[in-house]
Amino acid sequence: MDAKNLKVVNKPVAKMDAMGLACGEPAFTDDVEIKGLLCGKILWSPHAHARIKKIDTDAALKVPGVKAVLTYKDLPRVPHTTAGQGYPEPSPYDTYTLDNKVRYVGDRVAAVAAETQEAAQEAISKIKVEYELLPAVFDTFEAMKEGAPVIHDEEDSKNIPDAKHNIAAKFDFEVRNGDWFKEADHVFEHSWKIPYLQHCAIEPHVTIAYFDNAGRLVLRTSTQVPFHVRRIVAQALKIPVKNIRVIKPRIGGGFGSKQEVLEDIVAALALKAGRPVKLEYTRKETFISSRTRHPATCRMKAGVKKDGTITDAEMEITLNTGAYGSHALTVMMCSGSHTIPMYRVKNNIKFIGRSVYTNMPVAGAYRGYGATQGFFAWECLMDMMAAKIGMDPVVFRKMNYIKLGEGSPVFKAMGEGREGVEQVITSTGLFEAIQKGMDEIKWAEKKAKYASQTGPIRRGVGVACMMQGSGIPEVDMACATMKMNEDGSFNLLVGAADLGTGSDTILAQIAAEVLGIKADDIVVTSSDTDITPFDVGAYASSTTFISGGAVKKTAEKVRDMIIEVGAKILDKKKEELRLADGKVVAADGASCPLSEVANTSLYYYNQHQITASASHFAHTSPPPFQANFAEVEVDTETGQIKILDYVSCVDCGTAINPQLAQGQNDGAVVNGISHTLSEEMEFSSNGTPLNASFRRYKILSAADTPPVRSFIIPTWEPAGPFGAKSVSEIGINGPLPAVANAVYSATGVWLFEAPFTPDKVLKAIKKAR
Amino acid sequence: MKNIKYYAFPSTTKEAVALLLNKRYKAMALAGGTLVAKTLPETVETYLDIKNVPIKNIKLQGGNLVIGAGATFNDIDLSKLCRGWAGGVISAAAAKCSSQLIRNMATIGGNVARPHSFNIFPVVLLGLDAKVRLSSRSGARLVDFQDLYSSGLGLRPGLDSLITEIVIPGKTRKWKCEFVKLAKTESSWESYITLFFSAEKKGKGLAQVRVAVGALSPKPFRAPETEKVLLSGAGPVAAATAFAAELDAARAGEYRASAAASLLKRFAGSI
Amino acid sequence: MKNNIIEMTRGFFNITVAVNGEKKELAVRNGEFLLDALRRHGWKGTKKGCDTGDCGSCAVILNGKPVLGCLVPAVAAHDGAITTIEGLGSVREPHPLQAAFVEAGAVQCGFCIPGMILSSKHLLDVTPNPTEAEIRKALDGNLCRCTGYVQQVAAVKNAAKTLAGKGKRA
Repeated sequence: MDAKNLKVVNKPVAKMDAMGLACGEPAFTDDVEIKGLLCGKILWSPHAHARIKKIDTDAALKVPGVKAVLTYKDLPRVPHTTAGQGYPEPSPYDTYTLDNKVRYVGDRVAAVAAETQEAAQEAISKIKVEYELLPAVFDTFEAMKEGAPVIHDEEDSKNIPDAKHNIAAKFDFEVRNGDWFKEADHVFEHSWKIPYLQHCAIEPHVTIAYFDNAGRLVLRTSTQVPFHVRRIVAQALKIPVKNIRVIKPRIGGGFGSKQEVLEDIVAALALKAGRPVKLEYTRKETFISSRTRHPATCRMKAGVKKDGTITDAEMEITLNTGAYGSHALTVMMCSGSHTIPMYRVKNNIKFIGRSVYTNMPVAGAYRGYGATQGFFAWECLMDMMAAKIGMDPVVFRKMNYIKLGEGSPVFKAMGEGREGVEQVITSTGLFEAIQKGMDEIKWAEKKAKYASQTGPIRRGVGVACMMQGSGIPEVDMACATMKMNEDGSFNLLVGAADLGTGSDTILAQIAAEVLGIKADDIVVTSSDTDITPFDVGAYASSTTFISGGAVKKTAEKVRDMIIEVGAKILDKKKEELRLADGKVVAADGASCPLSEVANTSLYYYNQHQITASASHFAHTSPPPFQANFAEVEVDTETGQIKILDYVSCVDCGTAINPQLAQGQNDGAVVNGISHTLSEEMEFSSNGTPLNASFRRYKILSAADTPPVRSFIIPTWEPAGPFGAKSVSEIGINGPLPAVANAVYSATGVWLFEAPFTPDKVLKAIKKAR
Repeated sequence: MKNIKYYAFPSTTKEAVALLLNKRYKAMALAGGTLVAKTLPETVETYLDIKNVPIKNIKLQGGNLVIGAGATFNDIDLSKLCRGWAGGVISAAAAKCSSQLIRNMATIGGNVARPHSFNIFPVVLLGLDAKVRLSSRSGARLVDFQDLYSSGLGLRPGLDSLITEIVIPGKTRKWKCEFVKLAKTESSWESYITLFFSAEKKGKGLAQVRVAVGALSPKPFRAPETEKVLLSGAGPVAAATAFAAELDAARAGEYRASAAASLLKRFAGSI
Repeated sequence: MKNNIIEMTRGFFNITVAVNGEKKELAVRNGEFLLDALRRHGWKGTKKGCDTGDCGSCAVILNGKPVLGCLVPAVAAHDGAITTIEGLGSVREPHPLQAAFVEAGAVQCGFCIPGMILSSKHLLDVTPNPTEAEIRKALDGNLCRCTGYVQQVAAVKNAAKTLAGKGKRA
């Protein structure tokens, strides 16, 4: 199968919301005026680890304009997780809306709602807190030691595997097939490190909590997971789900940070004040108190034979989950399950995973979701092995990567919170991706050219290959509803949360393809828990594959209903009819427009609304694949790395919308390059963040960004809607290893610690000499 | 900002200075505001906007390059006069200041008035022997940039005086200069170090050299020993060694000292 | 000299300013920045991404050049002319830059886009046929986390062509 005969899918249809956004139409959470809106503010912990001995809110309550002050005393104590995941969430229940203990600098202490921001701020400053300071721990390895401060010493938290040793999640897995490294000619062992990284969605976290005319709580919020927000807020505040409505307007980027349910506190403020409340994080608060990527130390040990066979591979990943275990287990699992199967390992495979509590900011979901951490290690190790046995890194990869029809014991063993699923690769364009990438970067020519260089400026090329998933198999579920209008247009209601990715548009394209109409004949409403059907939300690279599957099924049901009516109108057998160009068309050419079908169904024949809903979940998670190539120039006297060219070739099955798919990939790659060259949250010795601003935590600007070229390699995934797989996350995993490998090829120096800032690079170069 | 009672926008230097000196107003002069608008001292009650004061021109005057204090980084970046002066080093430095939106707002006067380690211009102005013209109670005066920036000369620009012009002496017009911003990325606000090198050839030797270092602290400084070695004609390697030692003494740290010394070596080799 | 001073009354400064070509008398709060004042008065296209002058989502054109709305005290816009994104075009009648951004796929989440389009507008006003490096430099104050800037740079190039064509016809 291929995408040749498709009319709407695989076409660059303009993103439906783009013009409104480009014209500054009020579309985002904070772009509405709500009468009587109060301003919410949170008092954040100045200490890394402390118990609240006394908290006095009298003075705060006396500030004119203050309508509500909340401390842990005012709220039910409900252990829950902020991870917006399917129920029951695989993350430990270790979080309380407010607690009598603070576990990192930036943890919640109390909250205020007031008539103005100034009053709220003043009230915050007047809350008197007496802390009992507790010893804090900032390093994962220290935190696991006997006698380390216990961060979750409370008795009512749930599903923490080893709270005493600060272990929020652990998993060990081994495939044994003979003695370890027995067949290996060379064995390598190294550790790679990734620091605290923030998502930096340009829209900060913002929620407006208000009440509808029946007194129900409405949360208008910048979220990727509206249905999980409804469920978890209900759980944390002990209010019925039916009393909450969550509306997801346009979202100013998420990248995983808004897969986190932080709306409980603003909901609690609104309930307490009986007034609408807005809580908007400042940029600093977003850096510190929303979520981050899990910092990681990934140790890998692998053996290789001279002929290029990988004999054994062991990955031990230690993730820093910070003060709470949001996504602690699942990110850890994905660091192995999305990476180890990439290459065939002949004999033994081992995975050791630990997610560890520290008194640091809370890690959560972040585009790449563990695979970023795992591939940095695995792909650098691949180049080390290739170098040792004298094989071109591309040839070595081609020899070993997972092929069509092949599986991996890892797929079954490592799921996300439950056992995984057995699966084999049912589509791959990795070979073509590698070929295209080599051509574009001029691999052979550059390798030869850069083989003999002199002087302080050196150039090199590097490669990395990756895979990811498409949704969580047998966990993620999405539903869609369609209804037909008189003019032959349709409403498509989806729970899928477009957070800027363009999912509304691609879902409309899928439905339009089935119904033989144009995408703009479909009006999409996404994510309002009162209106749209359930969807787990936008995460795990699931929307195209899972929500797209639901939309396709729904449209097919609608198509059948249309044909039923069309058969009556045209007096034909249903089997003879198909939909094309906005019409029901018979084999003999007779036709009637969809508007006639709609009117007939609504007003004349067997009166009914043509409407359908369908749900979709999947038994597999077909991986997209990528080959990335980087050409770099290294100044060996200043340590500066300049990326001269970056080529990213992605197999995402059928790109439902090639232009939007390219945009997804460009964005993922540049985020990855930004991780590689610049990003790192810095902390003082007592755990206080030092660079919580765009000024000091530097993400790449247009001027900093090197040339990035994405190419889509078409394949056809039989399990996906119109052959589609996911595209959104995978691209972020490539730059760290591709650039590290290119720097090695330029200088002979390996880099093990992200980001590759000039000072670190120069140090590595000097150390190697 | 919250204690502001008056917004004043005079149209001449004289008016502006009069307002600054009028005790009733407790005024502070701002141009782009990028450094101080968010952190105005609480004692300030009048926000004195100098947008209408005619001090934005960039011109040649008596052989010197005169840059109005109100000229923005963008003005300086695009100015033909600046681009043609000392190999365009002033424009090059202006272009390396954080972002276009900041460059549209921030002024060279603000950079001189408020010492910060991330200011781009000071190291260049130090290296080019710049002078600053300001108006105060005692009238207009011309002072050495270095004196003003390092000691303040008992003045508080923006509060008791107004910087009106930056004067780059004519002798520097043909100097071979280089400005380096060593930072994580091109558009980083902060740098590891900023460097200004200049040299003027005379026969086979050098008539003068400047080696200035910025970003380590709010105050840039020159490296006199390194300059001596360069002048002596001892060669790039010796100069780099001397520079590394001077940076080390200034507690620049191993990375900065090493990278900066290498860059100086390259500059010296290129003279 | 009195004419060149505005006094605060009851926490507000009354300023006169032309917004998108229309003269307005606006009451701006003491201590309020232009970004907040514009949003409060209904120009919601101007976005708050950082409030510290680092992201460019709040960019507006003030007296002919793009500035950071979060760093300009609202009162300083007095006597000035402001163009916000709403002043460029509308969904019914978009400016060529708005059309080009949509067509190139340059709008993902769209939060940074108003600021970026205003920076681009100024660029094309002063440099009708910019090089890629000039585009990237002109946009380097408008951070975007979604796109990698590839399609946005393309959009500005395309808009430059459209505008040049229009100029010729006119």
